Amino acid sequence: MSATDVSASHPAAGTAAQISATHRQHWSRPTSAFARAGGYLVLLFVGLGTVFPFVWMLLTSVRESNTVFSGGFLPSSVSFAAYRSAWVQVDMAHHFFVSVWMTVVTVIGVVSLSTLSGYAFAKLRFPGKQAIYLLLLSTLMVPPTATIIPLFIELRDLHLINNQGGLVLVYIGTALPFSMFLMRAFFESLPSELIEAGKLDGATQWSIFRRIMLPLAAPGVATVVIFQFLQTWNEFLMANTLLQSPNLLPLQPMLFALNGQYSTNWPVLTAALTITSVPVIIVYVRMQRQFVAGLTLGAIK
Amino acid sequence: MGTIAVATVSTRRRRSSSRTDAAIERRWGYAFILPTVAFFIAFVAYPFIRAAYLSLSRWAGYGTVEFVGFHNFVALTQDPIFWQALRTTILYTAITTVVQTALPLLLAVLLNAGWRGGVLFRTVVFLPAVVSFVVSGILWQMIYEPNFGLLNRALRAVGLGGLAQGWLANGTTALPAIMFVSLWMSLGLFMLIYFAGMQGINPNLYEAARLDGANSWQQLRYVTVPMLRPITAVVVTLNMISGLKVFDIVYTMTGGGPNHATEVLGTYLYSIAFGSRTASIPAIGYGTAVSMVVFVLAMGAVLFQNWWTRKARDERD
Repeated sequence: MSATDVSASHPAAGTAAQISATHRQHWSRPTSAFARAGGYLVLLFVGLGTVFPFVWMLLTSVRESNTVFSGGFLPSSVSFAAYRSAWVQVDMAHHFFVSVWMTVVTVIGVVSLSTLSGYAFAKLRFPGKQAIYLLLLSTLMVPPTATIIPLFIELRDLHLINNQGGLVLVYIGTALPFSMFLMRAFFESLPSELIEAGKLDGATQWSIFRRIMLPLAAPGVATVVIFQFLQTWNEFLMANTLLQSPNLLPLQPMLFALNGQYSTNWPVLTAALTITSVPVIIVYVRMQRQFVAGLTLGAIK
Repeated sequence: MGTIAVATVSTRRRRSSSRTDAAIERRWGYAFILPTVAFFIAFVAYPFIRAAYLSLSRWAGYGTVEFVGFHNFVALTQDPIFWQALRTTILYTAITTVVQTALPLLLAVLLNAGWRGGVLFRTVVFLPAVVSFVVSGILWQMIYEPNFGLLNRALRAVGLGGLAQGWLANGTTALPAIMFVSLWMSLGLFMLIYFAGMQGINPNLYEAARLDGANSWQQLRYVTVPMLRPITAVVVTLNMISGLKVFDIVYTMTGGGPNHATEVLGTYLYSIAFGSRTASIPAIGYGTAVSMVVFVLAMGAVLFQNWWTRKARDERD
């Protein structure tokens, strides 16, 4: 594979940036009022149909537990008891903070290491650069299910199995090639004259990176942060495999276990689903632009 | 004489300083990539090479690793559950790829006609792509629940109670039910990818088509679709890869059941290696052989996309 092949296999990287670009209209609107009404109905139907499961989830979570299987669609009274049970009795509070710290550490690790290597691959000259770069990218499309078994064995051999730190290391390691690829693209778009100017001023490579280039790559860093936050927060396969003690689990595998134990207690179950999803939804609504860019990039993983 | 000597000295000095500059840059370059490369070797390259080796071994996860050549792969060909998982994975991938390539395109074309509330629509339709597979899986498990689930209650409410059933407990409906959740999760994502691509089409092409008397349908057929072909290639590949590696959603909703009806390669290799459902002795070698099959299929999809993207570019340009 040549360098162009690799970037050609990731055209989403280019399109993502345009997603929130201003909408441009190309052809005349359907002239007949009939066609427009039909189009509107389709969009309305799809939009409502998509959001409906979430509405039902919220409505179920605020029901009195004895009305779940009998009452009408709208709850007759609103109760937050299920949230209290989920947070306190099921101790989601604990698992929530496990997810928070694991996500924060992973994001910091991935961003700091991928900006460094992305910058080096974009702007510095050293022998073997192209070969190492292609090697890192060659595994982008390897499905996680293909390496989960040897990862389990490896962590067991390193005595890092059932260890949250071990899982964070795996998260950072498996995320780095893709984030490096993104950061390299961002650094590549910055003018090299800035580096030359920095050199003339006697700055070291480190301070050129840290003081001049990194601040200019802030939009790229934001995309990587948001993308990595979402990936780590929602990750299930590795967390469920590499951690075993119930009290070590972050939210996703904990929800999976809860689904077995509370399969008949729908208010608590839906409250737990809501609590798990609130952080990603808040970030999504507030930072939609970077979020959509991050996720469309992430889709190619 | 004197000036020449000065010139030589200064050239030499410049050359040697640029040589040290290059050496310094080289050192910084290696230092900057070192942590990334170390993590890559430890958690990507090494496990992958080890997987390739283990797939040629007989090993329960402890004791000695016995090299058996292609024995595991030969055994796979005689394993009916493997064939079923392979068939189901390919069926799942084929159907989700076709549906999740066509419907988002149609929706993007419709959205692009310009509507009041279009931005809100984009926000809402994208929402399921934000929550995790586990959350979606559990939520839809409740929706599909036979007695009190939303779907059966809705069917009964409109007089179609005869259709009500245990959607995930029935071998014929379980897989389509999971595919529908996959569509629900990815519709907005792929719609936005197409939508972004449509913003990049040169408006003059539509202008020219209109001057030639093309109607809306013909503009779609002869301008939008051909111009979007490289993006369509991406969407197809994304769908193929995520179909081939499908795990979370099946594992959460059915665990591969009922009676292996929704067993895919991901859930099958998981149960072989970690034995959670089969309660058999974990067979690490055999499980990694299945994961090599997943890997080869995924690489096939990537090569297919590279070929198709290049072809689409050549045809368009």
